[in-house]
Amino acid sequence: MWKEVRDREAGKLPPITFASRVRSCRVSALGLSNHKEIVSPHHGAVNALQVDLTEGRYLLSGASDGSAAVYDIQRATDYEEGLIARHRSLFVVDKQHEYGHKFAISTAIWYPVDTGLFVTGSFDHFVKVWDTNTTQVVMDFKMPGKVYGTAMSSIAKAHMLIAAGSADVQVRLCDIASGAFTHTLSGHRDGVMTLEWSTSSEWILMTGGRDGAIRFWDIRRAGCFRVLDQSQCQLGRRPPFLENTSKKIVARTSLAGSSSLANKSVSRKKSPLGNGMKQSQALHKPQNLLRTPVRQRSHPGMSSSHDRATAHYGAVTGLKASVDGMYLLSSGSDSQLRLWDIESGLNILAKYEEMSLQTSKSIHLALNPDSSLVFVPCMATVKACDVWSGLTLQTFRGHYELVNCCYFNLQDQELYTGSNDRQILVWSPPSAIINDLEEDNRKEQKFSADKDNWSD
Amino acid sequence: MGREEESDEVPAMVPRLIEKATNSTAPEVNPRLLKAIKSTVRYSDDEVHAAVQSLMVQMKKPHSQVRYLAVLIIDELFMRSKLFRSLLVINFDQFLSLSVGFRRNMPLPPPFSIASNLRKMSIELLEKWNSSYGIYYRQLRLGFDYLKNTLRFQFPNRLEIAARLQQERREREMRTQQILLNKFENLKDNFSSIKSEIQLTIDEIGECLEIINEKEEEFNLRNFSEDDEVGEFQSLTLRQIRLDSLKEGQKVQEDNDNKAIFDALRELFKLLISKHLTSVQEWISVLIRVDLNDLKFRDTALKEFIDIRNVIQSVRNRCVQLGCVLNDPPSQEEDIWEEGKIEDYIPQNFVMNRSLVENSVDIPSRHKCKKSAPPGEENNPFDSSQSVSERSRLLAEAPVLTWGPFLDNWGSKRDVLANQRGLELDGHWGRVDYDAVIPAERIAELSVHRTVYKEEAVEIQPCLAPLRKGGLCQRKDLRECPFHGPIIPRDALGNPIGRSPCSTGEIEKDSSTEATAHNGENGAEESPNMGKVTIEQLAKQAVKNVRERDREVKMLKRAKLAKVREHNEVVLREAAIASTSYSEATGERRDASHESLSEGKTKKLTLASMLKKKVTAKDRISQRLLSTRTKYYELVTMYDGKGGLLMR
Repeated sequence: MWKEVRDREAGKLPPITFASRVRSCRVSALGLSNHKEIVSPHHGAVNALQVDLTEGRYLLSGASDGSAAVYDIQRATDYEEGLIARHRSLFVVDKQHEYGHKFAISTAIWYPVDTGLFVTGSFDHFVKVWDTNTTQVVMDFKMPGKVYGTAMSSIAKAHMLIAAGSADVQVRLCDIASGAFTHTLSGHRDGVMTLEWSTSSEWILMTGGRDGAIRFWDIRRAGCFRVLDQSQCQLGRRPPFLENTSKKIVARTSLAGSSSLANKSVSRKKSPLGNGMKQSQALHKPQNLLRTPVRQRSHPGMSSSHDRATAHYGAVTGLKASVDGMYLLSSGSDSQLRLWDIESGLNILAKYEEMSLQTSKSIHLALNPDSSLVFVPCMATVKACDVWSGLTLQTFRGHYELVNCCYFNLQDQELYTGSNDRQILVWSPPSAIINDLEEDNRKEQKFSADKDNWSD
Repeated sequence: MGREEESDEVPAMVPRLIEKATNSTAPEVNPRLLKAIKSTVRYSDDEVHAAVQSLMVQMKKPHSQVRYLAVLIIDELFMRSKLFRSLLVINFDQFLSLSVGFRRNMPLPPPFSIASNLRKMSIELLEKWNSSYGIYYRQLRLGFDYLKNTLRFQFPNRLEIAARLQQERREREMRTQQILLNKFENLKDNFSSIKSEIQLTIDEIGECLEIINEKEEEFNLRNFSEDDEVGEFQSLTLRQIRLDSLKEGQKVQEDNDNKAIFDALRELFKLLISKHLTSVQEWISVLIRVDLNDLKFRDTALKEFIDIRNVIQSVRNRCVQLGCVLNDPPSQEEDIWEEGKIEDYIPQNFVMNRSLVENSVDIPSRHKCKKSAPPGEENNPFDSSQSVSERSRLLAEAPVLTWGPFLDNWGSKRDVLANQRGLELDGHWGRVDYDAVIPAERIAELSVHRTVYKEEAVEIQPCLAPLRKGGLCQRKDLRECPFHGPIIPRDALGNPIGRSPCSTGEIEKDSSTEATAHNGENGAEESPNMGKVTIEQLAKQAVKNVRERDREVKMLKRAKLAKVREHNEVVLREAAIASTSYSEATGERRDASHESLSEGKTKKLTLASMLKKKVTAKDRISQRLLSTRTKYYELVTMYDGKGGLLMR
């Protein structure tokens, strides 16, 4: 540790590397935090957790009893025995609230720009936008069915849309500015469980439905432009992208612009193992197509067989895009975790260890910032898996019932998990390294009671 | 211990020890094995790891007894080793699901009685662990919280109860201390007056004694000298007797001269003993118990009180020595004690007392009281005692009661302390109110005198009215035959005795309604002359009936006994069959049921045998209940049959 600090000072170690090393070191040491405790005011299963994206300080939770609460995770409200920091909710909105949700809240997200608003979606068919400071509903959207998921794009500059998936087959985009639905995206054959905005393009929305399909939508156009197919796969990462090939591809695409995506995918199928020219050409195309108008015409003609493609057997219960916008992780009720290449739309055959996942509810996955670890709620535990090798590195046991959601706090390298047992647990690395020494002294006194006691 | 050296060579010997310790049917872990486990685990961290692993393995076994013992071992290690705690806590939800069995898909394995014990104990242990180590282990808190708040398990809540008890005790002590303090203040104010009062009484007594003694002094002296000379030659006992008698003689006799003095003395003595002595003792106890800063006054007061007490006691001794005239106010406890000792003894004692107080008259009546005399004789003492005292008359009039506890507080209307004996109730598990009082009404309610109502045997007379077709009417009605009117004594031909023949003729001819009306009119006239005949008849019939009844009762009893015996045998046989039902000797051993029962008990228990189904005591009781019920029905029907016979 100290050697690395010195290396960084001497310029031997780039600061970014240093930071990522420290981070990964901390992440690998995650464990159930004994000195940080979130006091859950919920009387039902915790379904959604999110820390605000601007400050990284306020945790929002939504629960099955129709309540949502916000906690300050930086500053504890009180300390028990000077050792355990308890974080009580700053406020709770529940059924007693004038405009509270009547049924379970299935999703709760922060407004990505600041902490002044948050959005909740509930089984009572409503998506509500709340003012955090007054804890009043400023806007609500009536959905045609139970709301399973909502999503807002964290990188959006040009729009402020809430994508909401419900028991209805259509995905609706709710505009906070106007208070109306701007889009209705139809294509799923069953309810939409989970939604995720692309982290690289503000126009791309990815949705997973109960029909097992993951659809990609460009919200500037009607219809979905891609359906992920679990049978089309590639092995491992794509090779680094070469300048000259990209030019060629551009040229080629413009030539063969009218060829449908289905055709391409068929051709791709033939060389699933190939890392060569042909594949990278095919892989890269969608990116170009987004930019070129040629792509627009391709999707209406998408062959029906492709339209029926499924990403999972059963429902897609969770989606998570990596921070760099390159990969997408999906979980399904077939207890499978799949890794997708967003650009190519191919199933990267990462072999995850066998796990059993919740099937009835949507689950929230979490990725660590460098996309090397994924946190998956597996029944009553949370597993940390290596994204690429699929190995389970850690299993977090602590909940007594099914875990519904987890959220990884990038800033503090802390993991928050919410479960059916009404608890929100904090998993944190062992206490900060810098103040280890003084903390040790302090703890020495505190922990004096927790020692071996061999009377005989 | 020698085990430690062994564990040096064998890296992990704890698993074997644990396996051995958990493979037992005893409700406790073998203390020697436990000690061995503890000392081995203490020896190295590797052993702790091994212990956790093997304990979890044991916990997973599908046998509650194994798990139970494993939990006991876990508790021992958990309370001792930090490493053990931190290791166990990692898989705490699994541990809880195996020990408490809160997951529906993972219920605790059989045997069920032990499983429930296991659950109870695990919950208790969890509470204990949580209270002592909860703040260091989040998992403990989580588990506790989950079981308590989500699954709503009932925790024994030891801590809170203990705290509450402590609080209550403190409050009580505070209160008593306050009372004592008040008393003490009171004493401080009145100390001198109390002292002077007592001193005054003592002085007065002293004066009285002096007066008496002066009078008798010469006489006494002479007596003593005499007795000394003679006494030397007597045997010891005789001498003692003589001494006693002389002492008796020496005592001042009360006569007309000194009666006033004696009276005064008695009065003062009573005052001294009943008031001053008790108050002094009370004060002493107050002084001892009171908690004060100012010890000086307390000490002096205490000393003085003790002195006063000694003085009083010496005065009392002198008084007692001086004369039996000053008989102590009989200490009541003793009397009660003697009376309550033997039940038989009481009436005699009573009688004795009575006879002392009264004349001889009512001794027979007393005896009668005891024996609950037949109702016929009741009149005699009544008649005879008319002339005698009022008291005996009342006595005779008084109802005869069998002896019972209600006689203890006959007519008293006092509240009674619930904890009369001053039992130490700290060990009691419930809340205890030390000053609980049972109100007088409740006492009265409790000691209400109950007697079993015994129906007097009445022989129902047949109507016996002559029938037209010949013969006599055999209907048995209590008072009135619907056909022949009131039942009256009749002779062999059916003519009413003591009535004019014409009237009987009338009755014969008349319709029943007329007859009843007629009889109704002169019913009153008949009763006197009916008397003699009926009494004779009744007496005869009564004797006969009683005999018959006796016979029936005996028969019944015998039948019942036979039934019971039969049933017992059946039950025993069943039990025997059931208990051995899984052993190979099901069919053959039917006859030797008793032996097999006892064998089953002595047979060595194994873990596997615990899993087998046994006929529990409950089963047996329910079985018995069932059969007794059927038996009862049989009896009832039998009795009904008899009743029917009687009717006919």
